Amino acid sequence: MNASSQVLRLAVVGHTNTGKTSLLRTLTRDPSFGEVMDRPGTTRHVEGVRLLIEGSTAVELFDTPGMEDGMALLDYLDTLVPPGTRLDGPARIQRFLDSPESLRRFEQEARVLRKLLDCDAGLYVVDARDPVLAKHRDELAVLASCGHPLLPVLNFTHSPDHRIDEWRSALARLGLHAIVEFDTIAPSLDGEDQLYDKLALLLDTHAPTLRALRRDVADQRRQRRLDGLGIVAEMLLDIAALRLSSPPDEDSLQASAKELQRLARQREQRCIDTLLKRYNFRPADFPSHALPLQGERWDMDLFHPQALKEVGLHLGKGMAAGAMAGATLDMFTAGISLGAATLLGAAAGGLWQGADKLGRRLLGRLKGYQELTVDDAVLRLLAMRELALIAALERRGHAAQGPIEIASLVADKADTLRKEKLPEELLEARASPEWSTLTDHYQPTARRAQAVKRLAAELDTSWMPESLQMGTLPNHTG
Amino acid sequence: MAHSFDEHWLLETLRLRESLWGPLEDSAEAGRARAQGGDFSTRLLTRARLLARREQVDDNLAGWRQMARVVLLLFMIVALVAGGAAAAGALGSGGQSVNLAVAVTALLGLNAITFLIWVVSFFMQAGTSGSLLTNIWFRLTRRLARGPNAALLPRALLELLTRQGLSRWAAGVVSHGLWVLALLSMLATLLAMLATRRYTFLWETTLLSPDTFVQVVHALGWLPSLLGFAQPAADTIRASGGQQILPESAHALWSTWLLGVVVVYGLLPRVMALLLSVVIMRRRLKRLAVDPSLPGLAELHDRLMPASVNTGIDAAAAEPAATALSGLAEIPTGHGPHYLMGLELPPDQNWPPQPVPTGITDLGVIDSREERHRMLNTLRHHPAQSLLVCCDARQTPDRGTLALLKELASLAGEMRVALLPDNGLQARRPQWRQQLLQAGCTPEQMPADITSAYAWMETTAQAGAATSASSVVQPGRAANAPPGAPA
Repeated sequence: MNASSQVLRLAVVGHTNTGKTSLLRTLTRDPSFGEVMDRPGTTRHVEGVRLLIEGSTAVELFDTPGMEDGMALLDYLDTLVPPGTRLDGPARIQRFLDSPESLRRFEQEARVLRKLLDCDAGLYVVDARDPVLAKHRDELAVLASCGHPLLPVLNFTHSPDHRIDEWRSALARLGLHAIVEFDTIAPSLDGEDQLYDKLALLLDTHAPTLRALRRDVADQRRQRRLDGLGIVAEMLLDIAALRLSSPPDEDSLQASAKELQRLARQREQRCIDTLLKRYNFRPADFPSHALPLQGERWDMDLFHPQALKEVGLHLGKGMAAGAMAGATLDMFTAGISLGAATLLGAAAGGLWQGADKLGRRLLGRLKGYQELTVDDAVLRLLAMRELALIAALERRGHAAQGPIEIASLVADKADTLRKEKLPEELLEARASPEWSTLTDHYQPTARRAQAVKRLAAELDTSWMPESLQMGTLPNHTG
Repeated sequence: MAHSFDEHWLLETLRLRESLWGPLEDSAEAGRARAQGGDFSTRLLTRARLLARREQVDDNLAGWRQMARVVLLLFMIVALVAGGAAAAGALGSGGQSVNLAVAVTALLGLNAITFLIWVVSFFMQAGTSGSLLTNIWFRLTRRLARGPNAALLPRALLELLTRQGLSRWAAGVVSHGLWVLALLSMLATLLAMLATRRYTFLWETTLLSPDTFVQVVHALGWLPSLLGFAQPAADTIRASGGQQILPESAHALWSTWLLGVVVVYGLLPRVMALLLSVVIMRRRLKRLAVDPSLPGLAELHDRLMPASVNTGIDAAAAEPAATALSGLAEIPTGHGPHYLMGLELPPDQNWPPQPVPTGITDLGVIDSREERHRMLNTLRHHPAQSLLVCCDARQTPDRGTLALLKELASLAGEMRVALLPDNGLQARRPQWRQQLLQAGCTPEQMPADITSAYAWMETTAQAGAATSASSVVQPGRAANAPPGAPA
């Protein structure tokens, strides 16, 4: 068997405006594939895309125009080949493709059928909100004449007014028993697995390819999640270690607090941008939203006390309001006592490395300077927000066009997020101002790199709310 | 495929640069990296190499390297001079006796302390490289090297070395190398001075007993003696207290002992540490690996390793076939039946949506092909004077439905299309409206809601009834209207 015959070719077919292009966008994780609009006949040609496993083609998918005129086509087929003539399905379709109307009234349908004849199987996309009508049955009859297996894919299954049961029984009556539910806007985490499993049942010669594809999809998902958690851990360490020193008068303190807030906000934005990019969603895909995030007060400023209150956090140390909200005064002693081990280690192990910094800090202390750090509550809020964003991105289809909906954060792990001691790594970061890439004092150390890895692992095991991984679903926008 | 250290360094520099100042435009470079293939790390390195060339970061890197070499050369000269100077200082000009304890301390003291710190730094968790010299070298180069990426390159180097577990060993190579150089220069100077000048050696003490000296000298000399360096006998040591005149041979003995101590406690540990650093560094350099989960790299994954490639379209889209709702039937006003029908309505839609007014015939809901054919037959035989078609606003208007509406319009004097359900939900009304307008519908053919559509039907039906009542020209046609439509 040569390599090209291993490639599984699938035509994505269906009635118009049921989300065929959306299905392809979600399967390829490419939000720029084709054109998606809520109106009939958006896709007017056949567009192909190859799914790759480590650079080599595994599956070739074809997006086709929607079937719009199945009934008339069936009528026309009956006039071309009167019922009772001894011609099988594919031969009837071939006769239609040779007819003049295949270039005129049924030009779109002809493209679909030509492609389906050419492929190993078809994915029949159904908008589960549509009622089962005679025209759908007729177009299925036409498609089935091509003689290739059809796997119905029920789209928009998370919509409240879906008719999944009606569709299931109607499809069963037509002999289509293997059916997949796959919502292209918010696919369930194992949606692709189910799709490829069911396909493997229909196409047993391609089962190894489909299994490999399934494995690859799972690997990629795990990698994305690890990367995402690493991106968040990196941001948390940067902000936890951020430490600005300021002259003790009120004006300078306020100016420093503002600077502290600006740096933290900027860092969060950078983290969000990076996460979106890693999950292959681009802010440009949501032109109507400045920040394409909604829910859980994403629009609310990080340092606004209300933002914290809404997730049950409170600012400490009486700095909750005004210009200095979310900043914590550190009278140096605290910083030094926290970091005693680190600083002593640096002093003993190599006076040269930490000495000038320690010296500068001690000098500041003598001059009565104060140090500002970001409040614990803000750190917790940051962790909550970004973890919720990861959970939302994991469950968002690349066909979705609405703003990213962040599911409710008040979940089973909320108490952990709110009350549990901050992870060791963040406490250590507090005492290591040189860990923060946000200031000029940044110094890369192996210990910081280890802390990022450990924090990422800890975020996954004990901070990532389970309910955000599977359960609750975002609001559905048609 | 092995990649040079410089390639990794460039990658790290670009990573920092992109995370500090935002991503670079890289479509051409990313495209070439994809085309060249390989795993994700290889593609990242290729992209970085191409971008570095475009942004001339590689030139900056070469310049930085050059500067680092110059500074290192300066350091080597300083090390050579300092080693010689230390030896000369320790022995003096030969005018007075050399105090053994002072000489050993002057020759090896600083070396021993810094070496000990290097060893101790292994047990420190602060992540220091344990080398003062390397730090100074690094900082000096940083000061001296100028250029657009001058700040990024050293930072990237430090990040890279730290992450690969190389910083300690790279620093070790530099600092131990310099110390070895200094100690070699020291040994050469010692040899030259001892060969060409006459020195007398003695020890002095106020507090300690001579026996302590014997023990210390023997302890220090034991290791060198294994390598063949002479070990003064206890008597000689006691005799070197400064009170007695010693024979020349005793001073020769002391000088070999001193050389042995410098070689074994100064040079050998440094050479061994240097070898260790070189071996470990070379081994780790061979195993240089990109960490693709780093921020700045991780998000490039889908760009460089796309899970899919678009293969393009089969052929350009054809112009949509024009389907105009035109060709209204020529039916004299006041004749023909008035029909109401539902088109492809879901089973849960109430039918009729409101009680049917008198004078209007309900054709029922039309869905299947057979129903369509029957209904069209009826209309062909009895063209309608007015026809109200109710469609489902939640469905997408497709070409098949529009074609049917067109055909219906040709069989009715006047046709209206109403959308159900009538509640406030917008559903897909805009799409219906747009498609119907495109198909040639006039806005008044699309009543806003079912109530106004019914009102229109009733008015036309009453007007029709009045006309047919007053007219005697064709009484039969109105009377022959089918009493009930086949559904």
